Amino acid sequence: MKAIKYIISIITIIVVAYNSVYFKKLDEVKASLTAKEFNATAYAQTFWNNKLIPNLNKAVDLNQLTAMLSTDAAKTFDTYSHALGIGNLRYFLIKGKGIIESVNEDDVTVVFQPDSSKKTIVIAMEYIFGNAVRDATGLIDISEFSNTMDFNNVSAELNKIIREKVLPPFKSAVKKGDTLEFTGAIELNKEHLNLEEIEVIPVQLKINE
Amino acid sequence: MAVIISTLNNPWFVVLAQTAAAKAQSLGYEAKIFDSQNNTSLEADNFENAIASGYNAILFNPTDADGSVTNVLKAKSAGIPVFCMDREVNSAEAATSQILSDNYSGCVSIGKYFVEQMHKQGKYAEILGLVGDNNTWNRSKGFHSVVDVYPGLKMVAQQSADFDRNKAMEVLETMLQAHPDINAVFCGNDAMASGAYQALVAAGKANDIKVFGFDGAEDVVNSIKDKKIVATGMQFPKVMAQTAAMYADEYFKGKRDFPKKMPVAVELVTQENVNNYMGYGKKE
Repeated sequence: MKAIKYIISIITIIVVAYNSVYFKKLDEVKASLTAKEFNATAYAQTFWNNKLIPNLNKAVDLNQLTAMLSTDAAKTFDTYSHALGIGNLRYFLIKGKGIIESVNEDDVTVVFQPDSSKKTIVIAMEYIFGNAVRDATGLIDISEFSNTMDFNNVSAELNKIIREKVLPPFKSAVKKGDTLEFTGAIELNKEHLNLEEIEVIPVQLKINE
Repeated sequence: MAVIISTLNNPWFVVLAQTAAAKAQSLGYEAKIFDSQNNTSLEADNFENAIASGYNAILFNPTDADGSVTNVLKAKSAGIPVFCMDREVNSAEAATSQILSDNYSGCVSIGKYFVEQMHKQGKYAEILGLVGDNNTWNRSKGFHSVVDVYPGLKMVAQQSADFDRNKAMEVLETMLQAHPDINAVFCGNDAMASGAYQALVAAGKANDIKVFGFDGAEDVVNSIKDKKIVATGMQFPKVMAQTAAMYADEYFKGKRDFPKKMPVAVELVTQENVNNYMGYGKKE
């Protein structure tokens, strides 16, 4: 009798123990976790292909923009600038054409007003950071995101596309004296407007020798 | 509108509280400020008082990202919207909206300027704020998202000083003993940047090691003018407070689709543009 009880107890313990522990492949667990997480890389790539590139024709001409900002900055900011958050930092989607004045370590200087003013901008090649490209179109709604890091990561991924896809062919080809057609995003402070040091985060660059 | 503030024992939060109350009053509402004295249970009492007294909205600066969630939920279940200012609660659903400094992006800007000033190479230390605070890590992550791209920049020490000036001084003194050859120190707020600078003066290294802060505190803005501290990130407590009061006003008028989190831009203050700024904001 004792032996039967002992055997039943052992079997019960084995059955309970067996059903209490599950083994799954680590890859499957990781995959199911990431499936629920926001995928910033995929979001950025879709935004780049389906929203940013098709809307580049809406970029405002940099010559016109600087002229409008000089005459009525408040109205120009209201009409053309965007930002996901609130505050003084606003972003514009711009386009322009100019002559490469110099190729520097971290950027290129472009004369975009070839008339008497000889105004210049720089096209960033090294420091591709920040929210300019994410925010400049105004096509991303902050309500899409419940987590702050998600929209920070979208900026990081868009900047990565620029570093990996847009800049390498440009860097290897650009030289002083080239004519450059550029489209990109710029950040301006609406309270302390500085049009003398405009830096363009490039989205499309076309060199005409 | 009830304005419930983590502590009034700090000028930063006094500015936040008074601006929120003033904006509420200018919009035609009665406003009262409650001081939680950095105590979550006192904060719970303040919520109960505000709810019992019939306030229709709460403009809120939490004492604790996790501990304050129950207080916000209590107001929510009583049908009272809560708008968080400057500090967040760790719940996507509790508050109607959270208006917060864009700490991450602000520190991306500081990180970029840091790399430029360091010419992409050197050794540096980081002094973190409270390790349990979301702002601490958003700032650190933003900074490292840039600086870590440059292998020539090596972080040789990273330690918390709890956002405290004196602790930062002690922490940097210890760091300097182990790493006397650092070229820069990045601090998670301006109080710690001031403490770090003080430690460098005492060690006779104030001219050799660059200090970077975050906040836009008045003494650091002045230190940047005096070329003692290199840069900081300017936050705008008045903008956050005014936005919270305006959101509450819009809520009363029927609006419901508020962004869960609304970032407020942080501006880079350097020795080149410091004359545009004053403590906690722009020159008016």
